[in-house]
Amino acid sequence: MSKRKGNAADLAPSKKEKKGLGQYILGFFLLLYTLFCALPVVLVFIAAFSDEKSITQNGFSFFPDKWSMAGINSVLRYGSQLLTSYGITIFVTVFGTALGLLVMSMFAYSISRKEFRLSKFLSIYLLIPMLFNGGQLSGYVIFTSYYGLKDSLWLLILPLCVSTMNVIILRTYIANSIPNELMEAAKIDGAGEYRTFFQITLPLLKPSLAAVGFMMATAYWNDWQNALLYITSDNKKPLQLLLVNIQKSIEFLLNNSNVPASARAAMGGNIPQYSSTMATVLVVIGPIMVVYPFFQKYFVKGLTVGSVKG
Amino acid sequence: MKSFLENTWKHRAHVVMALPVFLILFFIMYVPMAGLVMAFKSFDFSKGIWGSPWCGIDNFKFLLASKNTFVSITKNTLMYYVIFTAVGTFLNVVLAIAIDQFVFKKVAKVMQTLMIIPVFISYAAVQFIVYAFISTDTGILNNTFDMGIRFYSTASWWPLILTIVKIWNSVGYGSVLYMSVLAGIDTELYEAAQIDGANKWKQIWHITLPSLIPMITVMLLLSVGGIMRSDTGLFYQVTRNSGVLYSTTQVIDSYVLNAIFKNSNFGFTAATSFFQSVVGLVMMLFANGMVRKIAPENALF
Repeated sequence: MSKRKGNAADLAPSKKEKKGLGQYILGFFLLLYTLFCALPVVLVFIAAFSDEKSITQNGFSFFPDKWSMAGINSVLRYGSQLLTSYGITIFVTVFGTALGLLVMSMFAYSISRKEFRLSKFLSIYLLIPMLFNGGQLSGYVIFTSYYGLKDSLWLLILPLCVSTMNVIILRTYIANSIPNELMEAAKIDGAGEYRTFFQITLPLLKPSLAAVGFMMATAYWNDWQNALLYITSDNKKPLQLLLVNIQKSIEFLLNNSNVPASARAAMGGNIPQYSSTMATVLVVIGPIMVVYPFFQKYFVKGLTVGSVKG
Repeated sequence: MKSFLENTWKHRAHVVMALPVFLILFFIMYVPMAGLVMAFKSFDFSKGIWGSPWCGIDNFKFLLASKNTFVSITKNTLMYYVIFTAVGTFLNVVLAIAIDQFVFKKVAKVMQTLMIIPVFISYAAVQFIVYAFISTDTGILNNTFDMGIRFYSTASWWPLILTIVKIWNSVGYGSVLYMSVLAGIDTELYEAAQIDGANKWKQIWHITLPSLIPMITVMLLLSVGGIMRSDTGLFYQVTRNSGVLYSTTQVIDSYVLNAIFKNSNFGFTAATSFFQSVVGLVMMLFANGMVRKIAPENALF
């Protein structure tokens, strides 16, 4: 820790002057933690390109004896199912996020209007689901036997579409960061409510839409639970369900040693192997890894906004 | 009343704009709340929720009678809540301070980006990664250290494993919130302390930590509201839903999920769900009341 020298350098930002030993030790520990976080993800890449034999013989390793494209190739051999699942996941993610952002920002805008007297009731109505909910079982029974939505994509979309917290984030942003005068001015100029919302409020809401949108998109992309509960037909299976099924079929093969050899052979390329399983994992998590750095600054901001409720 | 109606009519555009969320919440959140009456019924899928006969509190008697399951899943739920909250909060704060103190800002930024990544990986994918580390024959741990531990059939390992996975998953992300508080601390405070001869540790102890206390308190209190809910994927996927491990890994949420798939024990499950929702509500009201006393601006309502 350098002592302050009492010269002109004092005027410089104080953080500049302390690159002492302590900083390098701190850096070392931070690096360790970063490796702890990153290495498991790196392992997915390595295992996906490892030779199957080197995994079965020596186990997973960061330094496989032999590299191979077989894992990736066998994933591509899922062919149409992988494409279908990708299509479903992308559709649910894009449509769900867009729908959610639109309806939630409209709601947030409405309840942030001070002269709108119904907004008190609507705020409470919004809050209650955060305090109390029916739980998975009752939701399952009602969605499947009363709404008849079993095996419907709506059950992948609607349950994640609206969340109280996200509406609060949007409402806070409208209340704190968009001057009400702008909206008043638009009205005086003769713009109707809808036009004011779509042409003034919505464009100004962009930073918080990006933050909320990214969070929603990852929630949709990663949702396995609703898929596992509700989706049964192959042509509606999202990627995460594909992953879950791979694990289930591994388990089946492990637990049923009496599956005849001929049946195993018949399953051929479908017997999930270590490298191809990891290749599938890679294909499923890859897009988020690629997109995430671009959204990082938005969701850091969004998180912060959400914590300081207006 | 008349003026209220007039006001609503005048704001009909706002009513229309609020309508989609109103309906979605109604059908997705509110109707299932009514479905909780299942806890007081002898549920039969073919008769539906409303058609099934009432059975009073039989389900709850059953719940208390079959102590093992109910006590064990409640105990696990609470145990993991305590471990995750304590360890998580501590590490979130330590990490946030460490990154804030680190002067190589560009390096810190890259590190932070990498630390946040795990939170975006679904548990359905995480379980394969965990498997690669701890499986008996092919796992990195067993191979490197030649331990030969059968993690997937030894329940006592799982509180540790799940805690590590949870830390890996969420600490990088959780520290972001605390970092935003640290960024708001007036640098003049540090400069003044420095002039008074306070070293780094003293600065952290007397300036950094106290400024984090309000946020820590609020986050802790708010988390109390979710005490009965768990990160289902962690307990269902990462453990591969293995029955051998249930004694230390099954929580209320994963139990209910299993009951749905097995299509069994609906009375028991409904009673458990009811218990979960009611306790959740009470804890949430309690938490919010406390926050309201300490930091009203952070209260949820």
